[in-house]
Order: sequence, then structure tokens, then C-alpha cells
Amino acid sequence: MATRKIKTVYDVVCPFCGTLCDDLEVDVEIATDKVVEVRNACQIGTAKYYSSNPSPHRYEKPMIRKDGKLTEASWDEAIEKAADILTAAKRPLLYGFSSTECEAQGKGVELAEILGSILDNTASVCHGPTLLAEQDVGVPTSTLGEYKNRADLVIFWGSNPVHAHPRHLGRYSEFIRGYFRKDGRNDRYVVVVDPRNTHTAQIADMWINVNPNEDYELMNAIRAVLRGIDLDDENVAGVPKDKIYELVDLVKKCNYGVIFFGMGLTQTLSHHRNIDTAVCMTRELNDHTKFLITPMRGHYNVSGANTVFTWNTGYAYSIDFSRGYPRYNPGEFSSVPLLMNDEVDASLIVASDPASNFPQDSVRNMFKHPLIAIEPHETPTSAFADVVLPAAIAGIECDGTAYRMDHVPLRLRKVKDAPGECLTDKEILERLIKKVKEKLGEK
Amino acid sequence: MAEIKLTLKKKPEFPLEADSITPDNFSGKSIDDIKALEVYIGNQTAKLEDYFEVKGDTGEADDLKIKIDGDLSNVKRIGQEMTTGEIEIDGDVGMHLGNQMKGGKITVNGNADDWAGAMLEGGEIIIKGDTGHYTGAAYRGFWKGMQDGVIRVEGKIGNEAMLWARNSKGANKWPTLYCGEAGSFLGIHNHGGTIVVEGNVDRCCGADQAWGTIVVKGSISTKLPSYKKVGEVNGVELPNGDKIKGKFVEYSGDHSVRKETKGRLFIAA
Repeated sequence: MATRKIKTVYDVVCPFCGTLCDDLEVDVEIATDKVVEVRNACQIGTAKYYSSNPSPHRYEKPMIRKDGKLTEASWDEAIEKAADILTAAKRPLLYGFSSTECEAQGKGVELAEILGSILDNTASVCHGPTLLAEQDVGVPTSTLGEYKNRADLVIFWGSNPVHAHPRHLGRYSEFIRGYFRKDGRNDRYVVVVDPRNTHTAQIADMWINVNPNEDYELMNAIRAVLRGIDLDDENVAGVPKDKIYELVDLVKKCNYGVIFFGMGLTQTLSHHRNIDTAVCMTRELNDHTKFLITPMRGHYNVSGANTVFTWNTGYAYSIDFSRGYPRYNPGEFSSVPLLMNDEVDASLIVASDPASNFPQDSVRNMFKHPLIAIEPHETPTSAFADVVLPAAIAGIECDGTAYRMDHVPLRLRKVKDAPGECLTDKEILERLIKKVKEKLGEK
Repeated sequence: MAEIKLTLKKKPEFPLEADSITPDNFSGKSIDDIKALEVYIGNQTAKLEDYFEVKGDTGEADDLKIKIDGDLSNVKRIGQEMTTGEIEIDGDVGMHLGNQMKGGKITVNGNADDWAGAMLEGGEIIIKGDTGHYTGAAYRGFWKGMQDGVIRVEGKIGNEAMLWARNSKGANKWPTLYCGEAGSFLGIHNHGGTIVVEGNVDRCCGADQAWGTIVVKGSISTKLPSYKKVGEVNGVELPNGDKIKGKFVEYSGDHSVRKETKGRLFIAA
């Protein structure tokens, strides 16, 4: 029987969600360069590693649309075409970046500045409201290790980590044994605030069934009670007054509390104002005990995209370079409203799939104009692109840096080579920058 | 008063940023100089005359009226940081109208888009139609929004108007907003702004108000739980001296900010 030669890569950082688990072990068959086994990862992370194996959906060569059909082309041709599209545009949009590594994101900023384009990342349809609120009222936060070792009260507000961040509970927030929480789950009291009885709510100690879109009113009431005010209303946001007093009593008595919040706050009716009041509530809780708050970021490197954009431009997302310097105004310069108003005349999408996530009208407008996709797999976005530039999957086929949801930078590992002619996102953007500069006559 | 008339030639394909249209910028310039002023479209720079017909008599800023005609719904930043003079717009106007304005007067015989009168520091803006969100609001991350001046909107205003408004008793500055109806989060993070609404207001009115006065002559869709009833009053006197007649229920708040507060919300009884 022939022996199968396998190499194992240890301490691999998972490039899927913002939890950025850093204990994966990946087995790669040497002869075929295929991922054959992934240990320690959740189902979603495992699937991402397997997605790097050969498949008919993987782009291995650059493609250009000719006569309505995507046809294979050389790198030079594809980069030339992409640069033509971008330099001819008056209001180009560069969007995506959250599922690639920081070095490529930095190159994205450089390209945006040269083109005078809009630069946006997926935060604008995700935790952008969190960033808006943080700019208004700040944020008392910490790293996940602190929570693991110290927190005895954990509140999940509008987030469902059992499904969205499967290993978060086991690594940081619920079941893990910490330095001061030796008995793991038994040393923590878990509260879930959610209109639905989610799987996270089902394993919690308390579930607060808030009315949809009324989180703001509930937090507002909690803050008033914390100030020593007796509520006039018997029922706020579907939660009885007694339950609110019980919750306030609970949070005041804990030693170290933390609120993890997700899309249930950022993408419901009050958007950034939910986070605004959640941050104010956390701040006020520190008059009584230690309390902190952390957003449950989705894409594995969306924190990195925000960080890289911020250190380069001063702003985390929705940046406009059209006047030569960065300006920031979500709602005016963020991708969805721009596309809805048909204000974009060419788009470059990097490691993202807006066609699956944006409102229909905005996607329709995006497809009306030239579209370039830097993408490893066929997606609804790349299927309609005029130029497809095939990329290596960051964190699997190339290394780089990513920021965890608590802004801790971790080094991604390369476990195998990219197939065909794929280049890394960084290399592709570097080639584009060089070509665009040539065309604009810049050095 | 000297009058310059601008007429939009064609609706711009992308939003046109025309922050050069202010009496201050036109002051003392010849018509040809005004025609050559810069406007911005996409990542390109253009001249004012590419998009506007310019006619009339020039003069000094405080004796200058700019009259603008056409569908300006795609033209942004008109009257930005103006300090004196007058602008009158016949038609709808785009975002950031009269933002950071310090003096003078803007009249719009139509609707205005978002951020009208954002971070106003003085002067008066009159809008005969509706306005978008963030009317008289602070820009992202600023803790002092509208600091003085008056905005009068006859129609409905969008959400989060007068965000982080800030008065100054010592400097006698009373930022004030009058409007027909209002969306949600009216006067959020208010620090001394005065708001008078003729009609109804959506949810979360006066959220996080530290101090200030909000008068609603209609009703509120849902009052925040952190507001406490004080009593009933007959007429309200605004800090700027205006008197509002009628019977109102007086609420104090927002108590989520502090236990004892000078913030007041008056809702028609």
C-alpha cells in the first residue's frame, strides 16, 4: 500500500471570523498540495480551508469579458484593462478588503489616493454604526484574554455566537476556564438580550426577550434606573419593569462584566444610536463595578481594514479621496447610498461579494458600469465582472497580518501554494498601482 | 443690494461640490472672476461657468445677494462657512447647505437634503420645504454641533436633527430650530439647543439631552422611559426670549444622563 505523505502546519490562524482562532492544525497532502484534514477549527473555518482545494469555481487565470463572455487572458492584458477602467472613471469605488490581509489593505489605500476614488470596506454594511458611535462617545473595551480570565457576567446583546462565532464561547466568553474563573461556565453568569430565543439564549442563564427595534428604549430605561430614577412605565420594549430592576441589580453586583454585541444592535432601527447608548451604559456601569464592551466583528480582518485605513487616512471606512485628501461621511461616501444614487462609474471589489449582500437596486447600478473583481472563487459579483483578477486566499495560500475583533494583530500562515497563476491580493494591487501611475504619468 | 443670478445649465451627472458659492467668495470679484471659481465633480475640477450661467452686479459680501435657479438637488455645500450676505435658492438643494455658516441668510424655496445647517455658528437658514437627516447636526465625532443661529424649516425634518447642539449663556448664543414635523432622535445629545416643532415627532425625542428645551406642539410616537413628568404648564418661554402659547405637559430629562437635569421636553396637553 502506498503511503500518503502529509505535512502538518501547527498554530495556524483561522481566516474566517473575527474570533481569529490561532490554534488550528492543518494537514496538507504533499503530492497534491491538498488540504486533507483541519483540526480544532469550527465547521465554517474547516470549510474555508477545504475551499482552497481544486474546484471548478476557482479562478486560476485572469479573465476579461470579451463579447459578453469571461475569457482567459494574460496578467498583462488584464492589468492593462483594469487600469484603463479605473483611470477613465470620474467616481470610482474601491470596496471590500475585510477578507484579506493588512498589507493588501494598505495597497488599497494607496491606489484609492492615486485615483481620487471612494474607499470603503465591509464595515459600512456591518459594524460601521459601531465605529460611528465610538467616534461620538468613545468605547471602554479590552482584549478577549481579559474577559476569559476575569469576566463573571457576560451579556450577549443582539448577537448569536453559537452560529456566527462558534468558538468564541469555548475560547473566551462562556465555557473556558480562566485565571480567576477556574470553574469555567459555572463561574460565569450569561445573559442574552435578543428578540429571538436563539441557540445562544438557550444555553444562557437569563434571556431578555426585547421587542424588535426597541433595544434603544430598553438601554435608555436601564441607564435611568442606574441613575436612581424610578420608571413611570410598567413595561419598556416588551420587558416588564421588575425584570429591568432585576437585570440592573445583577449588573451592579458582578465583579467584572462584559457586553458582546452584534448585528442585532448595529443593523436594527436605531443603528449607531444603539451602540451610542450601549457605550454610555457601559461607562455608567463603571461607577458601580468593572464593565466593558466589545463588538463581535464578522469578517476575520474587518478590524484590520478599519485599523489600516485609519492609520493611513484618519478614518476607518467610507472615505472619499475625490478632492485629493481623505474625507469621511458614512451615508454620503459609503458604498450602498452611492450605488443607490448611481454615483459610481466603475468599481473595484477586493475579496468581497457585494452582489450577495447589498440591496438589489444598488447591485443593479453597480453592474451598469465597469466592474473589476479581485477574487479567488466565482461569486455573484465576479460572475458579472468585466475583469477578474485571480487571488491567492490570504491565510491559506499566503501569509500576512490580520486583526482580531479586539484589535490584537496576529500573523496569518501560509499552509499551501496558490493554484494556477493566482497572485496575492497585495501583488495584484501593486501591479495595478504601477500601471495606473504609468497611465496617469506619475512616478 | 447687489444681486448675482446663477442659473443651473444642466443637472450634473455626479454630485457637484459648490462650496465656492458664498457671498464671501463672490465679494469684490468681477463676473468673469466668479465664472472662473472652482467647483468639484467626482475626482475632477471644473469652473462655475461650466455648470452655471452667471449674471448680475457684483458688490461687497455684506451687500450681496446670490439668487440661484434650477434643480440643485445634486449640488452640495452651497453657502459653506459663509459669514455675511444672502443666498436665495429657487428649487431643491443638495447636501450640506450652509454648513458651518457664521452669519448671513439663506432662503430655500424648496427642499434641502441632509446636513442642512450642520454645525451652524450664526446666521439664519429658512427652508420652505422639507429637509433630510442631520439638520443642524454636528459632523461625525464632533462634540459641539450647532452653536448659534436659527434654522426654520416649514416642512418635515429627518432624523437626528440638532445632534450635539451647544449653547453658551456667557456668549449669549442660543442655537434654535423651528420645524413643522420631525423624525426620530430629535435633539439627541442636546447641550442647550432649543427646538420648537409645530407638529408630530417620531421616537426617541430628546435622547441623551443634558440640558436644553424641546417644545412639541403635536404628539410624540413614543416618549423615552427616561423622561419624568414634572407637571402641566400654560405657555413656555424659550431661552432666546420667544414665548410659545398653549397648554403643555412638562417632562424633565434625559435622566439617563443625570439624575437632576435642566433638560426639558414640553408636549402639547
